[in-house]
Amino acid sequence: MSGFGAISGNFLREQIRAPLNLVLLVAIPAFFVLIFASVLGEFAEALGGDLARQSATAISAGWAAAFLCGALSYFQVSSSREADRRLALAGLGPRRVATGRIAASLALGVVVSVVAYLTLWLRSGVAHPLHVAAAIFIFAAIYIGVGALIGTLVRGPLEGSLLVVLVFSLDVFSGPAMTSSGGFGNFTPTNHAANLLIAGGGGQGSPTSDWIGGAAIAFGGLLVALVAFFLSARGRG
Amino acid sequence: MTTVGQERALVLSVRGLRKSFHRGLPPRRRTIEVLRGANLEVRGGELVGLVGENGSGKSTLMQIVVGLLKRDGGEITPPGRLGYCPQSPMAWDKLTVSEHFALFAEAYQLDEARSQAAESSLLEELQFASYRDFRVEELSGGTRQKLNLALALMHEPELLLLDEPYAGFDWETYVRFWEMSERRRESGMGILIVSHLLAERERLSRVYSLTDGRTVEG
Repeated sequence: MSGFGAISGNFLREQIRAPLNLVLLVAIPAFFVLIFASVLGEFAEALGGDLARQSATAISAGWAAAFLCGALSYFQVSSSREADRRLALAGLGPRRVATGRIAASLALGVVVSVVAYLTLWLRSGVAHPLHVAAAIFIFAAIYIGVGALIGTLVRGPLEGSLLVVLVFSLDVFSGPAMTSSGGFGNFTPTNHAANLLIAGGGGQGSPTSDWIGGAAIAFGGLLVALVAFFLSARGRG
Repeated sequence: MTTVGQERALVLSVRGLRKSFHRGLPPRRRTIEVLRGANLEVRGGELVGLVGENGSGKSTLMQIVVGLLKRDGGEITPPGRLGYCPQSPMAWDKLTVSEHFALFAEAYQLDEARSQAAESSLLEELQFASYRDFRVEELSGGTRQKLNLALALMHEPELLLLDEPYAGFDWETYVRFWEMSERRRESGMGILIVSHLLAERERLSRVYSLTDGRTVEG
Protein backbone atom coordinates (compact mmCIF):
# COMPACT_ATOMS: atom_id res chain seq x y z
CA MET A 1 0.00 0.00 0.00
CA SER A 2 1.32 3.50 -0.81
CA GLY A 3 2.15 5.93 1.97
CA PHE A 4 -0.95 8.00 1.31
CA GLY A 5 -3.13 4.87 1.19
CA ALA A 6 -1.69 3.64 4.48
CA ILE A 7 -2.32 6.96 6.21
CA SER A 8 -5.89 7.50 4.99
CA GLY A 9 -6.64 3.76 5.41
CA ASN A 10 -5.65 3.92 9.07
CA PHE A 11 -7.67 7.11 9.60
CA LEU A 12 -10.72 5.43 8.03
CA ARG A 13 -10.20 2.27 10.09
CA GLU A 14 -10.11 4.37 13.22
CA GLN A 15 -13.64 5.62 12.49
CA ILE A 16 -15.29 2.39 11.41
CA ARG A 17 -13.89 0.45 14.38
CA ALA A 18 -16.20 2.35 16.73
CA PRO A 19 -19.21 0.02 17.08
CA LEU A 20 -21.55 2.93 17.80
CA ASN A 21 -20.59 4.56 14.50
CA LEU A 22 -21.63 1.41 12.62
CA VAL A 23 -24.96 1.24 14.46
CA LEU A 24 -25.64 4.92 13.77
CA LEU A 25 -24.70 4.44 10.13
CA VAL A 26 -27.77 2.25 9.73
CA ALA A 27 -30.00 3.70 12.44
CA ILE A 28 -29.81 7.39 11.47
CA PRO A 29 -30.90 6.96 7.82
CA ALA A 30 -33.60 4.51 8.92
CA PHE A 31 -34.87 6.97 11.53
CA PHE A 32 -34.79 9.97 9.21
CA VAL A 33 -36.30 8.29 6.14
CA LEU A 34 -38.81 6.00 7.83
CA ILE A 35 -39.95 8.16 10.77
CA PHE A 36 -38.69 11.73 10.50
CA ALA A 37 -39.92 12.15 6.92
CA SER A 38 -43.54 11.51 7.85
CA VAL A 39 -43.57 14.41 10.31
CA LEU A 40 -41.32 16.65 8.22
CA GLY A 41 -44.19 17.50 5.84
CA GLU A 42 -46.41 18.49 8.77
CA PHE A 43 -43.66 20.67 10.23
CA ALA A 44 -43.18 22.30 6.84
CA GLU A 45 -46.88 23.05 6.58
CA ALA A 46 -46.92 24.54 10.08
CA LEU A 47 -43.89 26.72 9.24
CA GLY A 48 -45.43 27.91 5.97
CA GLY A 49 -43.54 25.60 3.61
CA ASP A 50 -44.88 23.41 0.84
CA LEU A 51 -42.98 20.14 1.21
CA ALA A 52 -44.85 17.28 -0.44
CA ARG A 53 -44.74 13.81 1.15
CA GLN A 54 -42.56 12.28 -1.60
CA SER A 55 -40.12 15.16 -1.40
CA ALA A 56 -40.09 15.03 2.39
CA THR A 57 -39.01 11.39 2.22
CA ALA A 58 -36.29 12.22 -0.29
CA ILE A 59 -34.92 15.22 1.61
CA SER A 60 -34.80 13.22 4.84
CA ALA A 61 -32.15 10.98 3.20
CA GLY A 62 -30.09 14.11 2.57
CA TRP A 63 -30.51 15.23 6.17
CA ALA A 64 -29.46 11.79 7.40
CA ALA A 65 -26.27 11.97 5.33
CA ALA A 66 -25.63 15.52 6.52
CA PHE A 67 -26.13 14.71 10.19
CA LEU A 68 -23.94 11.61 10.09
CA CYS A 69 -21.14 13.28 8.15
CA GLY A 70 -21.22 16.35 10.41
CA ALA A 71 -20.96 14.20 13.53
CA LEU A 72 -18.29 11.85 12.12
CA SER A 73 -16.22 14.71 10.78
CA TYR A 74 -16.47 16.57 14.09
CA PHE A 75 -15.30 13.55 16.07
CA GLN A 76 -12.55 12.83 13.56
CA VAL A 77 -11.02 16.16 14.54
CA SER A 78 -11.86 16.28 18.23
CA SER A 79 -10.86 12.72 19.15
CA SER A 80 -7.66 12.62 17.09
CA ARG A 81 -6.34 16.15 17.48
CA GLU A 82 -3.41 15.32 19.79
CA ALA A 83 -2.31 12.18 17.94
CA ASP A 84 -2.59 13.91 14.55
CA ARG A 85 -0.47 16.76 15.88
CA ARG A 86 2.20 14.37 17.09
CA LEU A 87 2.24 12.60 13.75
CA ALA A 88 2.57 15.91 11.91
CA LEU A 89 5.44 16.93 14.21
CA ALA A 90 7.16 13.58 13.74
CA GLY A 91 7.71 14.54 10.12
CA LEU A 92 4.51 13.84 8.24
CA GLY A 93 3.54 17.52 8.35
CA PRO A 94 0.05 19.00 8.73
CA ARG A 95 -0.56 19.02 4.97
CA ARG A 96 -0.20 15.24 4.61
CA VAL A 97 -2.19 14.61 7.78
CA ALA A 98 -4.97 16.85 6.42
CA THR A 99 -5.05 15.11 3.03
CA GLY A 100 -5.22 11.73 4.80
CA ARG A 101 -8.10 13.00 6.92
CA ILE A 102 -10.01 14.46 3.95
CA ALA A 103 -9.60 11.18 2.03
CA ALA A 104 -10.98 9.25 5.01
CA SER A 105 -13.84 11.75 5.35
CA LEU A 106 -14.69 11.45 1.66
CA ALA A 107 -14.72 7.66 1.89
CA LEU A 108 -17.02 7.90 4.91
CA GLY A 109 -19.16 10.45 3.07
CA VAL A 110 -19.59 8.03 0.15
CA VAL A 111 -20.50 5.15 2.51
CA VAL A 112 -22.98 7.33 4.42
CA SER A 113 -24.52 8.60 1.15
CA VAL A 114 -24.87 5.05 -0.18
CA VAL A 115 -26.60 3.89 3.01
CA ALA A 116 -28.94 6.92 2.95
CA TYR A 117 -29.66 6.35 -0.74
CA LEU A 118 -30.40 2.65 -0.23
CA THR A 119 -32.72 3.43 2.68
CA LEU A 120 -34.59 5.91 0.51
CA TRP A 121 -34.74 3.43 -2.36
CA LEU A 122 -36.15 0.73 -0.06
CA ARG A 123 -38.70 3.14 1.44
CA SER A 124 -40.13 4.79 -1.64
CA GLY A 125 -38.07 3.97 -4.73
CA VAL A 126 -35.98 6.55 -6.58
CA ALA A 127 -37.23 8.04 -9.83
CA HIS A 128 -34.02 9.87 -10.79
CA PRO A 129 -31.19 7.76 -9.33
CA LEU A 130 -28.16 9.86 -10.35
CA HIS A 131 -29.87 13.14 -9.56
CA VAL A 132 -30.84 11.96 -6.06
CA ALA A 133 -27.49 10.26 -5.37
CA ALA A 134 -25.57 13.41 -6.31
CA ALA A 135 -27.84 15.59 -4.16
CA ILE A 136 -27.41 13.31 -1.13
CA PHE A 137 -23.62 13.42 -1.55
CA ILE A 138 -23.73 17.23 -1.72
CA PHE A 139 -25.43 17.21 1.70
CA ALA A 140 -22.70 14.90 3.00
CA ALA A 141 -19.83 17.00 1.59
CA ILE A 142 -21.21 20.23 3.05
CA TYR A 143 -21.46 18.72 6.52
CA ILE A 144 -17.97 17.21 6.35
CA GLY A 145 -16.91 20.86 6.26
CA VAL A 146 -19.31 21.94 9.03
CA GLY A 147 -18.19 19.13 11.36
CA ALA A 148 -14.47 19.64 10.74
CA LEU A 149 -14.74 23.41 11.21
CA ILE A 150 -16.56 23.07 14.53
CA GLY A 151 -14.09 20.38 15.60
CA THR A 152 -11.20 22.76 15.00
CA LEU A 153 -12.81 25.71 16.78
CA VAL A 154 -14.47 23.96 19.74
CA ARG A 155 -12.38 21.68 21.96
CA GLY A 156 -15.00 20.31 24.35
CA PRO A 157 -16.78 17.23 22.92
CA LEU A 158 -20.10 18.17 24.55
CA GLU A 159 -20.05 21.79 23.38
CA GLY A 160 -18.85 20.78 19.92
CA SER A 161 -21.43 18.08 19.33
CA LEU A 162 -24.20 20.40 20.57
CA LEU A 163 -23.02 23.07 18.16
CA VAL A 164 -23.14 20.56 15.27
CA VAL A 165 -26.73 19.74 16.25
CA LEU A 166 -27.60 23.45 16.52
CA VAL A 167 -26.23 24.26 13.06
CA PHE A 168 -27.99 21.21 11.66
CA SER A 169 -31.33 22.14 13.28
CA LEU A 170 -31.14 25.73 12.05
CA ASP A 171 -30.30 24.44 8.58
CA VAL A 172 -33.16 21.90 8.52
CA PHE A 173 -35.87 24.16 9.84
CA SER A 174 -34.85 27.30 7.92
CA GLY A 175 -34.39 25.64 4.54
CA PRO A 176 -36.44 26.51 1.46
CA ALA A 177 -38.77 23.54 1.82
CA MET A 178 -39.59 24.23 5.46
CA THR A 179 -40.37 27.92 5.47
CA SER A 180 -42.22 30.44 3.34
CA SER A 181 -40.09 31.88 0.55
CA GLY A 182 -37.35 34.44 1.11
CA GLY A 183 -35.45 35.43 4.24
CA PHE A 184 -32.82 33.40 6.03
CA GLY A 185 -33.75 30.16 4.23
CA ASN A 186 -32.06 31.30 1.03
CA PHE A 187 -28.70 31.50 2.81
CA THR A 188 -28.57 28.15 4.59
CA PRO A 189 -25.62 25.96 3.48
CA THR A 190 -27.84 23.22 2.08
CA ASN A 191 -30.29 25.51 0.28
CA HIS A 192 -29.32 24.30 -3.23
CA ALA A 193 -28.87 20.69 -2.13
CA ALA A 194 -32.38 20.74 -0.64
CA ASN A 195 -33.83 22.14 -3.87
CA LEU A 196 -32.06 19.40 -5.84
CA LEU A 197 -33.28 16.62 -3.59
CA ILE A 198 -36.85 17.92 -3.44
CA ALA A 199 -36.95 18.06 -7.24
CA GLY A 200 -35.30 14.66 -7.64
CA GLY A 201 -37.58 13.10 -5.03
CA GLY A 202 -40.61 14.47 -6.85
CA GLY A 203 -39.38 13.04 -10.17
CA GLN A 204 -38.53 16.44 -11.63
CA GLY A 205 -35.38 17.97 -13.06
CA SER A 206 -33.45 20.82 -11.43
CA PRO A 207 -32.31 24.16 -12.85
CA THR A 208 -28.61 24.55 -13.66
CA SER A 209 -28.30 27.23 -10.99
CA ASP A 210 -29.07 24.68 -8.27
CA TRP A 211 -26.50 22.25 -9.68
CA ILE A 212 -23.81 24.90 -9.90
CA GLY A 213 -24.70 26.33 -6.48
CA GLY A 214 -24.83 22.90 -4.85
CA ALA A 215 -21.54 21.77 -6.39
CA ALA A 216 -19.83 25.04 -5.41
CA ILE A 217 -20.97 24.81 -1.78
CA ALA A 218 -20.04 21.11 -1.59
CA PHE A 219 -16.57 21.93 -2.94
CA GLY A 220 -16.37 24.82 -0.47
CA GLY A 221 -17.35 22.45 2.35
CA LEU A 222 -14.57 20.05 1.46
CA LEU A 223 -12.10 22.92 1.17
CA VAL A 224 -13.13 24.19 4.61
CA ALA A 225 -12.66 20.66 5.97
CA LEU A 226 -9.19 20.43 4.42
CA VAL A 227 -8.15 23.74 5.99
CA ALA A 228 -9.71 22.73 9.34
CA PHE A 229 -7.84 19.40 9.35
CA PHE A 230 -4.62 21.25 8.48
CA LEU A 231 -5.02 23.80 11.28
CA SER A 232 -5.94 21.10 13.75
CA ALA A 233 -2.84 19.04 12.90
CA ARG A 234 -0.60 22.11 13.01
CA GLY A 235 -2.13 23.71 16.11
CA ARG A 236 0.52 26.02 17.49
CA GLY A 237 -0.82 28.20 20.30
CA MET B 1 24.36 20.41 15.12
CA THR B 2 27.57 22.18 16.25
CA THR B 3 30.79 20.92 17.76
CA VAL B 4 32.79 22.79 20.40
CA GLY B 5 36.43 21.66 20.74
CA GLN B 6 36.65 18.10 22.00
CA GLU B 7 33.15 18.24 23.45
CA ARG B 8 30.31 16.19 22.09
CA ALA B 9 28.10 17.81 19.48
CA LEU B 10 25.39 20.12 20.76
CA VAL B 11 22.00 18.59 19.93
CA LEU B 12 19.78 21.16 21.65
CA SER B 13 20.37 24.74 22.65
CA VAL B 14 17.68 26.87 24.32
CA ARG B 15 18.50 30.51 25.07
CA GLY B 16 16.31 33.10 26.81
CA LEU B 17 13.06 31.28 26.14
CA ARG B 18 9.94 33.25 27.03
CA LYS B 19 6.30 32.22 26.92
CA SER B 20 3.07 33.68 28.33
CA PHE B 21 -0.48 32.41 28.17
CA HIS B 22 -3.56 34.63 28.10
CA ARG B 23 -6.61 33.23 29.83
CA GLY B 24 -10.23 34.37 30.15
CA LEU B 25 -12.15 37.25 28.64
CA PRO B 26 -12.14 40.92 29.73
CA PRO B 27 -12.54 42.03 32.46
CA ARG B 28 -11.21 38.73 33.87
CA ARG B 29 -8.47 38.42 31.26
CA ARG B 30 -5.19 37.32 32.85
CA THR B 31 -1.70 36.90 31.48
CA ILE B 32 0.37 34.10 32.97
CA GLU B 33 4.11 34.34 32.38
CA VAL B 34 5.30 30.74 32.37
CA LEU B 35 8.83 31.05 30.97
CA ARG B 36 10.90 34.19 31.62
CA GLY B 37 14.21 33.44 29.97
CA ALA B 38 14.86 29.71 30.32
CA ASN B 39 18.21 28.34 29.10
CA LEU B 40 19.45 24.81 28.66
CA GLU B 41 21.60 22.70 26.43
CA VAL B 42 21.99 19.01 25.68
CA ARG B 43 24.95 17.39 23.95
CA GLY B 44 25.11 14.02 22.23
CA GLY B 45 25.73 11.25 24.77
CA GLU B 46 24.30 13.28 27.66
CA LEU B 47 21.36 12.38 29.86
CA VAL B 48 20.04 15.68 31.14
CA GLY B 49 17.24 16.24 33.66
CA LEU B 50 14.81 19.13 33.89
CA VAL B 51 12.89 19.29 37.16
CA GLY B 52 10.34 21.67 38.57
CA GLU B 53 7.14 21.76 40.53
CA ASN B 54 3.79 21.08 38.91
CA GLY B 55 2.87 24.07 36.75
CA SER B 56 6.44 25.39 36.64
CA GLY B 57 6.50 25.29 32.82
CA LYS B 58 8.49 22.11 32.13
CA SER B 59 5.98 20.68 29.66
CA THR B 60 5.51 24.11 28.08
CA LEU B 61 9.27 24.32 27.48
CA MET B 62 9.28 20.89 25.93
CA GLN B 63 6.25 21.62 23.76
CA ILE B 64 7.96 24.74 22.44
CA VAL B 65 11.11 22.76 21.64
CA VAL B 66 9.15 20.17 19.62
CA GLY B 67 7.01 22.80 17.88
CA LEU B 68 3.67 22.18 19.55
CA LEU B 69 3.66 25.72 20.96
CA LYS B 70 5.00 29.02 19.66
CA ARG B 71 7.49 30.92 21.76
CA ASP B 72 7.19 34.62 22.60
CA GLY B 73 10.94 35.11 22.57
CA GLY B 74 14.33 33.45 22.81
CA GLU B 75 16.27 31.13 20.56
CA ILE B 76 16.16 27.38 20.01
CA THR B 77 18.60 25.32 17.99
CA PRO B 78 16.95 21.91 17.58
CA PRO B 79 18.58 18.77 16.17
CA GLY B 80 17.88 17.31 12.76
CA ARG B 81 16.24 14.18 14.15
CA LEU B 82 14.10 14.66 17.23
CA GLY B 83 12.20 12.01 19.17
CA TYR B 84 9.36 13.25 21.35
CA CYS B 85 7.67 11.19 24.04
CA PRO B 86 4.81 13.29 25.44
CA GLN B 87 3.54 13.07 29.01
CA SER B 88 0.31 11.33 28.01
CA PRO B 89 0.41 9.02 25.00
CA MET B 90 -0.86 10.97 22.01
CA ALA B 91 -2.24 7.95 20.17
CA TRP B 92 -5.38 6.78 18.37
CA ASP B 93 -7.52 4.60 20.62
CA LYS B 94 -8.93 2.45 17.81
CA LEU B 95 -5.65 1.66 16.07
CA THR B 96 -3.37 -1.23 16.97
CA VAL B 97 0.22 -1.04 18.16
CA SER B 98 1.43 -2.21 14.72
CA GLU B 99 -0.69 0.38 12.93
CA HIS B 100 0.90 3.08 15.08
CA PHE B 101 4.36 1.88 14.08
CA ALA B 102 3.29 1.93 10.42
CA LEU B 103 2.02 5.52 10.62
CA PHE B 104 5.12 6.79 12.40
CA ALA B 105 7.40 4.91 9.99
CA GLU B 106 5.69 6.94 7.26
CA ALA B 107 6.28 10.16 9.21
CA TYR B 108 9.96 9.31 9.82
CA GLN B 109 10.36 8.19 6.19
CA LEU B 110 11.65 4.74 7.15
CA ASP B 111 11.57 2.13 4.43
CA GLU B 112 9.78 -1.18 5.00
CA ALA B 113 12.90 -3.06 6.17
CA ARG B 114 14.02 -0.37 8.62
CA SER B 115 10.49 0.07 9.90
CA GLN B 116 10.06 -3.67 10.54
CA ALA B 117 13.47 -3.90 12.21
CA ALA B 118 12.76 -0.91 14.47
CA GLU B 119 9.32 -2.24 15.40
CA SER B 120 10.59 -5.72 16.25
CA SER B 121 13.57 -4.50 18.21
CA LEU B 122 11.59 -1.97 20.29
CA LEU B 123 8.78 -4.44 20.99
CA GLU B 124 11.43 -6.85 22.19
CA GLU B 125 13.45 -4.32 24.17
CA LEU B 126 10.41 -2.89 25.97
CA GLN B 127 8.83 -6.34 26.22
CA PHE B 128 5.40 -5.77 24.77
CA ALA B 129 5.61 -7.83 21.56
CA SER B 130 2.53 -9.82 22.57
CA TYR B 131 0.46 -6.63 22.30
CA ARG B 132 1.40 -5.97 18.68
CA ASP B 133 -2.17 -6.52 17.43
CA PHE B 134 -3.94 -4.91 20.38
CA ARG B 135 -5.73 -1.62 19.98
CA VAL B 136 -4.52 1.23 22.19
CA GLU B 137 -7.89 1.30 24.00
CA GLU B 138 -7.20 -2.32 25.07
CA LEU B 139 -3.77 -1.57 26.58
CA SER B 140 -2.99 -0.84 30.23
CA GLY B 141 -1.55 2.56 31.15
CA GLY B 142 1.97 1.14 31.40
CA THR B 143 1.82 -0.57 28.01
CA ARG B 144 0.49 2.60 26.41
CA GLN B 145 3.47 4.40 27.87
CA LYS B 146 5.79 1.78 26.34
CA LEU B 147 4.19 2.41 22.95
CA ASN B 148 4.54 6.14 23.54
CA LEU B 149 8.26 5.71 24.17
CA ALA B 150 8.78 3.26 21.31
CA LEU B 151 7.22 5.69 18.80
CA ALA B 152 9.69 8.36 19.87
CA LEU B 153 12.65 5.99 19.41
CA MET B 154 11.75 4.37 16.08
CA HIS B 155 14.00 6.55 13.95
CA GLU B 156 17.01 6.61 16.35
CA PRO B 157 16.81 10.35 17.01
CA GLU B 158 19.81 12.54 17.83
CA LEU B 159 17.84 13.97 20.75
CA LEU B 160 15.16 12.19 22.74
CA LEU B 161 12.76 14.35 24.73
CA LEU B 162 10.96 12.50 27.49
CA ASP B 163 8.14 14.23 29.36
CA GLU B 164 7.39 12.35 32.63
CA PRO B 165 8.26 9.13 30.77
CA TYR B 166 7.86 6.51 33.46
CA ALA B 167 4.39 7.40 34.74
CA GLY B 168 2.48 4.12 34.83
CA PHE B 169 5.56 1.89 34.63
CA ASP B 170 5.89 -0.99 37.08
CA TRP B 171 9.25 -1.44 38.84
CA GLU B 172 10.68 -3.88 36.28
CA THR B 173 9.79 -1.60 33.39
CA TYR B 174 11.15 1.39 35.31
CA VAL B 175 14.51 -0.36 35.72
CA ARG B 176 14.48 -1.45 32.09
CA PHE B 177 13.69 2.12 31.06
CA TRP B 178 16.84 3.44 32.76
CA GLU B 179 18.97 0.64 31.27
CA MET B 180 17.59 1.45 27.86
CA SER B 181 18.30 5.17 28.36
CA GLU B 182 21.88 4.34 29.37
CA ARG B 183 22.36 2.26 26.22
CA ARG B 184 21.03 5.05 24.05
CA ARG B 185 23.27 7.57 25.79
CA GLU B 186 26.33 5.37 25.28
CA SER B 187 25.51 5.15 21.59
CA GLY B 188 25.65 8.99 21.39
CA MET B 189 22.02 9.98 21.70
CA GLY B 190 21.25 13.11 23.72
CA ILE B 191 18.38 12.62 26.17
CA LEU B 192 16.39 15.24 28.04
CA ILE B 193 14.11 13.94 30.78
CA VAL B 194 11.48 16.26 32.17
CA SER B 195 9.93 15.29 35.48
CA HIS B 196 8.59 16.80 38.68
CA LEU B 197 10.51 14.07 40.52
CA LEU B 198 13.89 12.72 39.38
CA ALA B 199 14.93 9.89 41.66
CA GLU B 200 17.93 8.67 39.65
CA ARG B 201 20.07 11.81 39.70
CA GLU B 202 23.31 9.86 39.76
CA ARG B 203 22.57 8.62 36.26
CA LEU B 204 22.24 12.15 34.88
CA SER B 205 24.99 14.24 33.32
CA ARG B 206 23.33 17.45 34.48
CA VAL B 207 20.09 18.65 36.06
CA TYR B 208 18.29 21.94 35.47
CA SER B 209 15.67 23.21 37.89
CA LEU B 210 12.89 25.38 36.52
CA THR B 211 11.76 28.00 39.02
CA ASP B 212 9.85 31.20 38.36
CA GLY B 213 10.18 30.61 34.64
CA ARG B 214 14.00 30.42 34.72
CA THR B 215 16.34 27.45 34.67
CA VAL B 216 19.08 26.97 37.22
CA GLU B 217 21.78 24.37 36.65
CA GLY B 218 22.81 22.16 39.52
